[in-house]
Amino acid sequence: MNRAAPDPKQNMGKPEPRLEGRLKVTGEARYASDMPVNNPAFAFLITSPVAKGQITAIDLADAKAVPGVLDIFTHENTGDLKHLKYDPQGGGGSTSIQDFGPKIQHDGQIIGMVVADTYEAAREAAYKAKFEIATEKPSAGFHSEGVKEASPKKSEPKAGDAEKAFDDAAVKFEGWYGTPTQHHNPIELFTTTVAWNNDELTVYEPSQFMYGLKNSLASKVGVKPEKVRAISHFVGGAFGSKAQLTPRTGLVALAAKRLNRPVKLVATRDQGFTIATYRAETQHKIRIGAQRDGKITSFQHQGWELTSRPDAYAVGGVEDSARLYSFGAVKTDVKNVHADRNTPGFMRSPPVVPYIYALESAMDELAYQLKMDPVELRRVNDGMKDATGKEWSSRSLMQCYDEAAAAFGWSKRNAEPGSMRDGDWLIGWGCASAVYPTHMGPAAARVQFSADGQARVQIAAHEIGTGILTVVGQIAAERLGIPVENVRVEVGDSVLPPAPVAGGSTQTASCCSVVAKACDAINARLNANGGTPAPAPRETVGTGTGRNHEETFARLGVATLEEYAEQVPKEVKPNPVMGLVVDPMKKLYSGSSMLGGGSHAEKLMYALGAEFVEVRVHRLTREIRVPRIVGAFAAGRIMNTRTARSQYMGGMIWGISSALHEATEIDPRYARYTNDNLADYIIPVNADIQQLEVILVPEKDDLVNPVGVKGIGELANVGTAAAVANAVFHATGVRVRELPIRLEKLLTA
Amino acid sequence: MSEQNQGWSRRNFLTSTAASTMSVALLDRAAGAAPADEPKADPRSPVSLSLNVNGSTRRVALDARTTLLDALREHIGLTGSKKGCDHGQCGACTVMVDGKRVLSCLTLAAAAQGREVTTIEGLASADGTLHPMQQAFIDHDAFQCGYCTPGQIMSAVACVKEGHANSESEIREYMSGNLCRCACYPNIVDAITGAKPKMKEA
Ligand code: FES
Ligand code: FES
Repeated sequence: MNRAAPDPKQNMGKPEPRLEGRLKVTGEARYASDMPVNNPAFAFLITSPVAKGQITAIDLADAKAVPGVLDIFTHENTGDLKHLKYDPQGGGGSTSIQDFGPKIQHDGQIIGMVVADTYEAAREAAYKAKFEIATEKPSAGFHSEGVKEASPKKSEPKAGDAEKAFDDAAVKFEGWYGTPTQHHNPIELFTTTVAWNNDELTVYEPSQFMYGLKNSLASKVGVKPEKVRAISHFVGGAFGSKAQLTPRTGLVALAAKRLNRPVKLVATRDQGFTIATYRAETQHKIRIGAQRDGKITSFQHQGWELTSRPDAYAVGGVEDSARLYSFGAVKTDVKNVHADRNTPGFMRSPPVVPYIYALESAMDELAYQLKMDPVELRRVNDGMKDATGKEWSSRSLMQCYDEAAAAFGWSKRNAEPGSMRDGDWLIGWGCASAVYPTHMGPAAARVQFSADGQARVQIAAHEIGTGILTVVGQIAAERLGIPVENVRVEVGDSVLPPAPVAGGSTQTASCCSVVAKACDAINARLNANGGTPAPAPRETVGTGTGRNHEETFARLGVATLEEYAEQVPKEVKPNPVMGLVVDPMKKLYSGSSMLGGGSHAEKLMYALGAEFVEVRVHRLTREIRVPRIVGAFAAGRIMNTRTARSQYMGGMIWGISSALHEATEIDPRYARYTNDNLADYIIPVNADIQQLEVILVPEKDDLVNPVGVKGIGELANVGTAAAVANAVFHATGVRVRELPIRLEKLLTA
Repeated sequence: MSEQNQGWSRRNFLTSTAASTMSVALLDRAAGAAPADEPKADPRSPVSLSLNVNGSTRRVALDARTTLLDALREHIGLTGSKKGCDHGQCGACTVMVDGKRVLSCLTLAAAAQGREVTTIEGLASADGTLHPMQQAFIDHDAFQCGYCTPGQIMSAVACVKEGHANSESEIREYMSGNLCRCACYPNIVDAITGAKPKMKEA
């Protein structure tokens, strides 16, 4: 049996294997740093060894004496680069800290770059460049002296009088929770290659937003966007880290221009911790008031999020925690804490990973206080409206709970902490909800359909591992009534029509909707000329059986029909900015992404799930293992059960990682990351993962978008950490409220 | 190895992988040691090397500090082997040297002279038929972004050949030097389990 290819249930597409599978298993898939360029020079970054200070002198004599060195770039000779607007929404700059000195504003800030004939020479010279720095004492994090608290402009849902409802409640719960700094650490490093041809440049860089990269780089180097071509056919993992322009890209472009030669940069793993973004640490205060039957009358959620000095980056997950259940009254608040750190950014499920961890841990604590089964507590508070009265477009949370609980065997649980054992191992079972807003962005696509039944789809989407090539191929095959093998899909190039940022789990919904629209336009032309109508859209995707159009094409006197389509989701409204109406499609072409949906749409649009985890904690050593995990998820139409299951699987393992493994450690004295490598930044290895089961729960929701798809790439790592933490409590009676849960935190008990 | 030891053995595994790589480098130096009185060459000046990669001979002149990984990627044009850390911590650069899995980022190109190097590009048959492990990775969806995949597949083939694919837990243990951030681990285990009998037939 092949677990990787689940049989499609209702409203699910076939488990087609990935279209690019062969390229990926043969080493032929070309990622950005694999793209051949003519006679490249090699770059090596120099990064600051201190978090705060001022460069007072630079001595490059020894560095320049290294044979093969072509030039060295520092703040003294890079003034040509323009300042790019910081854009926390994706697209623009990843940070306001774009200068390479003399002011140093965070550890590992880029302060120089050597370019040489060989990588080895560039690296040697980088270590020989001397920078004198007048250092100042930095503030590292929440508890450091000198940090500044401020209110980011984030929506803070409020309904009813939550404080009074709390005071009046029969059962009250209050708790603090904390989540650590995390880094995306895709296995592909941050690479950039730039080649100029007269006044035009091509940039090869792994990207989650081709049009953002193209337009931002154009602004950075001061050329017209049409002079820039961005290429990123395959991305070796991104998880949010490759959606904005980081300072390295302009620097490489400038060097390539000055040297009149292609320049290739492959930043090192440790540099990756400071030259891009990360998930900032958060703290949460939760207050819940409930009736004795479990009905929650008051929910209050305050969040604090760390950020850099200049940038107010906040994820503000109260927007989602406040909606998850039918609370009686709600009060929320989000604060930024500014420190001497690099600017954080999106990391897989940015708002919900920390905020839902806090909520779902609190739900478990409340269940114990009420002596109630945690699944039943969710059921009591399940409902089709949130506290503000807004309705859900579809909501299958309890179906997910029921299916996952049955598969897990939850009914055999003895709720008493420490009551389930197997020899020296304490067994704990825990559960939590997963939730992710359904977003969609404007998108455009071009489709060609030929008389021989072959189709070609062009869209500047991003193959970051989600399977976008395959599902786009499937939707085209379905609409045109041809087998998926007949569809060629081209993505990852800014000469193609734009797709929205591959963030916020928007890609499948946005790209499939617009490709379907282009295909329908082709069908309309064929039908108008006596073609056989395409088969009606099916419940299952990608079962096209072939359609003969040769006669119709002959009648039309063409060999190929081509249609270009644009689609702006109804949730994305043209914005009146300073009296002007900004067309979302124009904005997309100029490199900014506008997403709609989630809690901002007419109805609440979310994908939901439930996860059940077993942990085993050793009685003496407190070693923690996760022998099994079951997750059930409902997310509207599933395009491909194979790629969907894989994304859920990866997400669940990310959740286990959040719970038990990963955290970036910060030296509080120097505001520096101390475990900036893959041996010390712990992520799960193969041996950490044992039984894992994904259940796809059928759901239909025609309101969310034309294809009825909810995004799934960021759903399954939400709530997992709470499920693990809840299981650890069940096993040991110890409630750990600061992630990750490492064995030393259980030894104190 | 029992489950409770795995946190420790993960470290062990990485160390032992690195150690086996180093032994290749040391062995080679011993074999080709220069006489003591020869003046010390500048390590930066190019060394002429002839490398046997996927059955064909490649002549290159390289800075002596060039790793096998950079030689393959930047000088020979075989970009299938990936750089994920350059420090022996991720396994993305795994290739075979004389039939054994080796981290090419921790191997100097010069140390690979006179040895048979096999990369992901050399795994399929000349007629394009995929190696059973490559096909199994597709069938079991054992990758998402695909960046760790060349290293995973090279390691997986070696894992079977070494006789370390006798149970799911043994496979997990012997594949733990290859990180996958997309976290396709259960599918990788299924792919190896599925490919193993077919590798015997082939
Ligand atoms: S690149 Fe060699 S182990 Fe990571
Ligand atoms: S498939 Fe992406 S890192 Fe393994």
